[in-house]
Amino acid sequence: MSVTLLWWALAALTLTGAVSVLLSREMTRLLLALGAFLLGVAGLYAYYGFELLAVAEVFVYVGGVLVLFLFAITALGRDSSGRSIERRLDLGAAAVSAGLAAALALAMRVVLPATTAATGVTVEKTADALLGPLLPHFEAVGVLLLVALVAALAIVGGGEE
Amino acid sequence: MQSLLLASALIGLGLYGALTRRDLIAVLASIEVMLGGAQLLLAAYAAVTAAPSIAQGVNLVVLAVGASEAAIGLALVVVLVRRGRRRTEDIEEVRG
Repeated sequence: MSVTLLWWALAALTLTGAVSVLLSREMTRLLLALGAFLLGVAGLYAYYGFELLAVAEVFVYVGGVLVLFLFAITALGRDSSGRSIERRLDLGAAAVSAGLAAALALAMRVVLPATTAATGVTVEKTADALLGPLLPHFEAVGVLLLVALVAALAIVGGGEE
Repeated sequence: MQSLLLASALIGLGLYGALTRRDLIAVLASIEVMLGGAQLLLAAYAAVTAAPSIAQGVNLVVLAVGASEAAIGLALVVVLVRRGRRRTEDIEEVRG
């Protein structure tokens, strides 16, 4: 399956969102950019044939994590100094980031030569996988989410004392 | 190949943001971009494997781990900002 116009549109949305997260000076714009990025990622999941993953991405990230970011910003208010979010050019960081991205692309080019969509992925098969070979991971994630919830409450509660 | 380049670019952009942004929430958002790139790479790889359903299950597990990371990260940011430390350079010590 060749890369279609839809893939390019979703990739453009994702990249634009990511670059905007990097360049935004206002917190609200940063969150909007993050939302666009996450929606683009969800669209790409659907393009690859993983509809369940796309829906989970929208529910968990766009509906959960992004709203959590919004709550945090609302609760914390604006920077008391009135400064916008600073952005700076750091050539060292740019070189490290570009180097990592290039190394990753070079290392993975053999195992991921073409963009293709998966076939035959159904919710039933995914459920079988989660309750079959991935059961230990599934259980571990349940515990992790509970621990994360308790830890987040303990951190915020401890910070108030 | 396009998927690989896109995911690599996203991971690179996220890393650059995490290294250079000074506002803690912006750093956390950049880390989310990095994680999104990594998950996209996993999904693109999953699409070419023989068992894409298992790969989708693995990606769901990674998604839950990312949500946990965001919850704990934001809790830490809330506590730090309440103590007047909104920027990365304000954090000079780690205490248990």
